[in-house]
Amino acid sequence: MSTTHVDLALEGMTCATCAGRIEGALAAVPGVIATVNFATERASVEIDGVTDATVLIAAITKVGYGARVIDREQRETEAPVDPVLTARVIVSLALATPVFLMSMIPAWQFDGFQWVAAALTTPIVTWGAWPFHRAAIRNARHGATTMDTLVSLGVAVAYLWSMYALFFTMAGMIGMRMDLALFGYSPHSLYFESAAVVTAFVLLGRLLESSSKRAAKMSLTALLNTAAKQAILLIDGREVTVPAGAVQKGDTFVVLAGGIVPTDGRIIEGQSAIDASAVTGESVPVPVGVGSTLIGGTINAGGRLVVEATAVGAGTELARLTQMVEEAQAGKAPVQKLVDRISAVFVPLVIVAAVAGGIVWFAITGDATHAVSIAAATLVVACPCALGLATPMALLAGTGRGARSGIIIRGTDVLESTRRVTTVVVDKTGTLTSGHPSVVDVLGDGVSADTVLGEAARVEMGTDHPLARAVVAEATTRGVMGDVARGIVAEPGRGVTGTLGTTVIRAGSLEWLAETSHAVPTSIVAAAADWTSAGRSLVAVAHGDRVVGLIAISDVIKPSASVAIRALSKLGIRTVMASGDNAAVAEVVAHEVGIDEFYGAMNPADKRDLIARLQQRGEVVAMVGDGINDAAALAQADLGIAMGHGTDVAIETSDIVLVSTDLRRVADAIRLSRSTLGTIRGNLVWAFGYNAIAIPIALAGVMGPAVAGLAMAFSSVFVVLNSARLATFRTS
Amino acid sequence: MSTTDFGVTGLTCNHCVMTVSRAAALVPGVTGVSIDLVANGQSTLHVESDAAVDAVALDKAIVEAGYELVH
Repeated sequence: MSTTHVDLALEGMTCATCAGRIEGALAAVPGVIATVNFATERASVEIDGVTDATVLIAAITKVGYGARVIDREQRETEAPVDPVLTARVIVSLALATPVFLMSMIPAWQFDGFQWVAAALTTPIVTWGAWPFHRAAIRNARHGATTMDTLVSLGVAVAYLWSMYALFFTMAGMIGMRMDLALFGYSPHSLYFESAAVVTAFVLLGRLLESSSKRAAKMSLTALLNTAAKQAILLIDGREVTVPAGAVQKGDTFVVLAGGIVPTDGRIIEGQSAIDASAVTGESVPVPVGVGSTLIGGTINAGGRLVVEATAVGAGTELARLTQMVEEAQAGKAPVQKLVDRISAVFVPLVIVAAVAGGIVWFAITGDATHAVSIAAATLVVACPCALGLATPMALLAGTGRGARSGIIIRGTDVLESTRRVTTVVVDKTGTLTSGHPSVVDVLGDGVSADTVLGEAARVEMGTDHPLARAVVAEATTRGVMGDVARGIVAEPGRGVTGTLGTTVIRAGSLEWLAETSHAVPTSIVAAAADWTSAGRSLVAVAHGDRVVGLIAISDVIKPSASVAIRALSKLGIRTVMASGDNAAVAEVVAHEVGIDEFYGAMNPADKRDLIARLQQRGEVVAMVGDGINDAAALAQADLGIAMGHGTDVAIETSDIVLVSTDLRRVADAIRLSRSTLGTIRGNLVWAFGYNAIAIPIALAGVMGPAVAGLAMAFSSVFVVLNSARLATFRTS
Repeated sequence: MSTTDFGVTGLTCNHCVMTVSRAAALVPGVTGVSIDLVANGQSTLHVESDAAVDAVALDKAIVEAGYELVH
């Protein structure tokens, strides 16, 4: 039996419980293994045998959700803002404002105002609150209660009771004024303002949240766009420019200097250096020649190459990375919203209390209307309108504060996770280091260091090799740059020859110079051994056949790196470095910045596995990276932090993006996410708290009509002010 | 070097773009191909060539690939 893979786009999920339910429904289909990702609204399904996608979709539809197959070729590129949600928010807010004002300010209560309030509230509680009713009904079918249930119930009861009171009690009398006493029973209380404001605020909260969720959806399309857009096919010796996807396995294509390699292949002609920093994280370009394999998405830093395609489309290294990122994301346990976790317990309790209260009151008074009014008041006051604002306000304040310091929080879902980061894994190239090779040491034998540097720069001037660029840049900085040498000849992968005056100058690999020169001076041999073991790249310089100097080039550590690592240690966080470079380079950097633990020569899968291992040990892991090679690890981590100068993919798969290259922002970002979570919790405690106090008052039958309104006002003001405190957050 | 535009119908997705690009690239004299996709409508095929494109050969290549050139 063969296994096939299907990706489904899901509709109608409102919380993590829904994700679990869909997963259960899919698992019930024979031969199916499925993971559901709540954040991306996707299901990743492995089918063993004959079952096809229609069976899966039917299973999902049966439990009340929608699904459709995603064609891997045609991922949706964007999910536009839901225009209906926006309309619901605007209309509800516009109508709720006058309802609230006329209900709360006695002076504004004109004759018959209650009928106007009823008319204005009707569209809010029906059309505006429809998403909550729909979700509540869907949940009810499974015996589940979420925040939607609470909102739907509170709004519906408030509205229906008020309508009853309006038509069948004296509350409907023209000239009636609302009694604003806090205590005392009133059989004709109206709760229109409660129904209207709760709906409007919770809808507003939804809109604020949806904008952050939308950004996360864009994530994977970027990965595919990293690949080259165009390729130059070689057909019967003729070069034809075609869209990159048209290349097939076995085709021959040309990659020009500076061009992006369109797909994986093997070189059949030419020599060059490949800059694979975006894909593999190696900071220094690798020399390649006939027979070398190339990864699609890397950059040809040297000469023209003729390449045979060895893998295309889904078979390429880049596609494998894409899949790895998807798997990491799909495997991630969805974070259940705090508010839903609380609601799951709170709602059943409130319903039981309301019903019990109603029964008790009926037993005492024998008055059914009275008993129902008590139950209704209990349900109405239990639904705090601050509930809808508690999470979004804190997220908004937290993300706003972060943005001012260059900390862009994308995945707000992770901020709701109650788990605290215990370990930070950092990538080396581009994260701890600048990512650009620079000259770090120059040695002259019989000539000055400046002479060595200047001469090397003058012959390497026209070369677009990153090591050559580093030499030229350093020579320019030191002011030892002269005219370009004459008769420059480059031997790709080896070095450059040119003439200055009457002297033939060669600059290139020490091996190349040693082959054609007399003995290499011992000082240079010794320095070469030292520098190589320190992970530096070398450029040797020769006058004629005498080697006279050596230049060490290395990726330099950012000045902020060690400060940042110390800041993390101070927060009680363990630091781990994962580098694509060899162990020697990794060790040097790790020791210099004071990293607790380091790993070298790690490919993307290794990095992801390292994080998975740490997570299995019970650590909560944040990953900091910038390359495509970090993407899977960023997705796997509990908190993914991308450096802003990094590749699109790293940025898109992360939860937090740091705009500046200053590594100290990592500690700030972690502290900010902790503060934001603390604020969300505080908000929820108070949102529920004020109303929890009001419930016994309602049950006792002494709740005045204004209590619901006041509880709402107090908790909302508290939530707004408490969230605003995040603005005082200080960065290091 | 000149660019000639052709209308092509029958393309629905990126996969079709690749198939048509490939078919057009194989036509002698062609040096570059790109397509503006209009799914289920008339897409535009831009063909670069040193001399004038052999329209008959191009037509044949596109039809063989399962699509249609608009005349």
